Amino acid sequence: MTLMRLALRSLLLRPARTVLTIISVAASVAVLFSLLAFNTGYQKGLRNQLQQMGVHLMVVPIGCPYEAASLVLKGGEIEGYLDERIVDDIARLEGVAIAAPSLMHAIVRPEDGRTDIYLGIDQRQLDLKNWWRLGDGSKPSPDLLASDDALLLGYDAALIEKREAVGEKIWVPEIDSEFTVTGILEPTGTQDDGFFYLPLATAQRKFNLPAQITAVQVRLSDPSQAAEVGDRLEQLFANAEVIRMEELLGSMTALMDSARALILAIVAVVIAISAVGVLNTMLMSVFERTREIGVLRATGASRLHIFSLVWTETLALTAVGGIGGIALAAVASRGVEAVIRQFVPLAPRESMTEFDPQAAVICVLAVLCVGLAAGVYPALRAASIRTIEALRSE
Amino acid sequence: MNDGEYVIQARDLVKTYTVGKRRVEALRGIDVSLAPGEFAVLLGPSGAGKTTTLNLVGCLDLPTSGDLTVAGHPISGNGARPTEAALDLLRRQHIGFIFADFNLLLTLTAMENVQVPLIWRDATAPGRARQLLERVGLAHRLTHRPDELSGGEMQRVAVARALINQPDLLLADEPTANLDTRTRDEILELLAELSTEGVAVLLATHDHELADRADTVLRIEDGVIADD
Ligand SMILES: Nc1ncnc2c1ncn2[C@@H]1O[C@H](COP(=O)(O)OP(=O)(O)OP(=O)(O)O)[C@@H](O)[C@H]1O
Ligand SMILES: [Mg+2]
Repeated sequence: MTLMRLALRSLLLRPARTVLTIISVAASVAVLFSLLAFNTGYQKGLRNQLQQMGVHLMVVPIGCPYEAASLVLKGGEIEGYLDERIVDDIARLEGVAIAAPSLMHAIVRPEDGRTDIYLGIDQRQLDLKNWWRLGDGSKPSPDLLASDDALLLGYDAALIEKREAVGEKIWVPEIDSEFTVTGILEPTGTQDDGFFYLPLATAQRKFNLPAQITAVQVRLSDPSQAAEVGDRLEQLFANAEVIRMEELLGSMTALMDSARALILAIVAVVIAISAVGVLNTMLMSVFERTREIGVLRATGASRLHIFSLVWTETLALTAVGGIGGIALAAVASRGVEAVIRQFVPLAPRESMTEFDPQAAVICVLAVLCVGLAAGVYPALRAASIRTIEALRSE
Repeated sequence: MNDGEYVIQARDLVKTYTVGKRRVEALRGIDVSLAPGEFAVLLGPSGAGKTTTLNLVGCLDLPTSGDLTVAGHPISGNGARPTEAALDLLRRQHIGFIFADFNLLLTLTAMENVQVPLIWRDATAPGRARQLLERVGLAHRLTHRPDELSGGEMQRVAVARALINQPDLLLADEPTANLDTRTRDEILELLAELSTEGVAVLLATHDHELADRADTVLRIEDGVIADD
C-alpha cells in the first residue's frame, strides 16, 4: 500500500463525481490543446503552401510592401514600373533558379461591377508556375503564348467571361484589340485563377508600356536562402522592393495573433472554471471523509501525510483529465478543424491540427499547475481537521 | 517501548472542554495503569468520560493536567511538551485503535485496509498483513471489500489493522456495540487472546457483560474512576 495507491482508491469512492470532474478537466485541456496545435499547424501549413507556390521572393517597384502583399493575396494594380532588364540581372544572381517577369494591368468595368486583370507573362512564368494545368491535365506549353493575340484564361476569368472553348475570340474595347483564347487553366485555389494572361510583349505594346514590367517573381534553388538573396537584391536594385513570402506569412499570423489572444482568454476562463470544479470536488470529498481522515490520523498519519494524500488525489484527478483531454483533442481534431476552417482566412489545404507533442507537454504541465493550485486549499482543510472531532463526527 | 513497567501510567488526569463560555469537566482526576499483556475494561455509562480517556492515553489529545506516560514516553506532567509529530510517531509505533463502527476504508480490500498504517512509515508488509488476517480468522476474505463482509468480519479486519505496526497498546472504543451477542463474544475472545500474547488492551464499554473477560475492570462515572 502506498500513498499514491490510497489516493487513487479514494477517488473511486464517488466514481460518478470523479468521472464528471475528470471530464470537465479533459474538456478544457482539449480546447487548450486544440488551440495550440491548431496555431502551430496553421502556421506550418501556411508556410508549406507559400513554399509550394514556388515563389520565394517578389521584386516590385518601391512602395509599401503591405500594399504589394495585399496584391499578392487579392490581386490589384501596382503603380510604378520596373525596367525589364532587371529580370536578367536577377536571374544571373547566385541561388536564383527562375526569375519570371510580369506586367499587370487592370481594366475597370464599372458597368459590370468588376475589374479585369491582364497579366503579361512569358515562358518563364509558365516554368515558375509548373503546377498550372489545362483541362486535359497537361501543362500549358509555351506555344499558348506564341501568337501576338494569344489569351490564356485563369479558371475564374473563364467563368466570368463565360468562355468554355479554346479558339473563341474576345474583344477588349478599352484597348481596341481582339484576342483568341488559347487555353483555360484548371483552378489553383489562388488569385492566379482570376487573371487574363497574354504574352508579355503584347501587353507592353497594348498597354503602352514598352520594356516595363510590374513585378519579378523569383524562385530560389534553396528556399531557406530567401533572406540573404532578398538582402542582396535590395542592395543591388535601389528602385526595387523585395517581398519575402516569409514576411507575408508574418503579417498574416500577426492578424491571427489578436484573434488568438481572445481565444486564449476564453480558454483561461474555461480552465479557471474547471479548476473551481476540481476544488469543489476535492473540498466535498474532504468534508465527506472527515471521519476517515480522523481514522487515518489515529493510525499514525501526520498532518503532512493527510495534506499529501488530498493533494495527490487532486493531482491524479487533473493528470488523468489532462491526458484524457489530449487524447480527446487528438481524436476530435478533425471535427474541430472543420469548424475552425470556416473562421480562418486562407486556411491551408492540408491538415492544420496535426498532433503537436510540444503543445501536449505544455497542456499537461498547465493542467498540473492548475491541479497543484486547486489542490492546496482542500489539502490544507484536510490537514487542519482535528482528530478527536473527526472521530466524533458522523 | 522503553523498559518502563507499564504501557500506560496516568495519574490525576484532568480533561476540561470549553464550549463557548461553558466548561465541561469530562475527566476529573483519574488514575490508570496498564501493564503489558493486561486486558482492562473501562466500564461506564454514556457521558462518563470513556472516549475522552482513550483519546488521552491514545495520544489523540492532551490532558488539561495530570501526569501521563505512554509506552515509556512522557506525554503530560513533569514539564513534558510533546510535539504533534512526536504524538503521531507514538501512535504509529505503539498504539492500535478499534472503533464501534469499524471505520474501514470502503474502497480498499481487507488486505489493503490492514496495510494502511504502513503507508505512514513508507513500508509494505503484505506477508504480515496476510498473517494477521489469518490470525483473526479471515484467510478466506483477503480480497473482500468492507461491503462484502459481515460486521464481525469487518471488526476482525479492523483488529488486524490495529495490529499491523506491532503495537504495545490496543485501544477499543465500544468495539462490540454494533455486533450481535455471538459475534461480540468472538471479538472479545480475540482481544483476550491478543492480550495473552503481550498486547495491553484497554476496552471502553457500557456493557457489563464484557467486564467478565477482563483482567481489570475500571468503573468510570462522571469523569472519576470508582474504587473497586
Ligand atoms: N470535544 C468535546 N467538547 C465538549 N465536550 C465534550 C467533548 N468531548 C466530550 N465531551 C463531553 O465530555 C463528557 C465525556 O464524554 P465522552 O465522550 O468521553 O463520554 P463516553 O463515556 O465516551 O460516552 P459514550 O458512551 O456516550 O460514548 C461528556 O459530557 C461529553 O459531552
Ligand atoms: Mg464514547
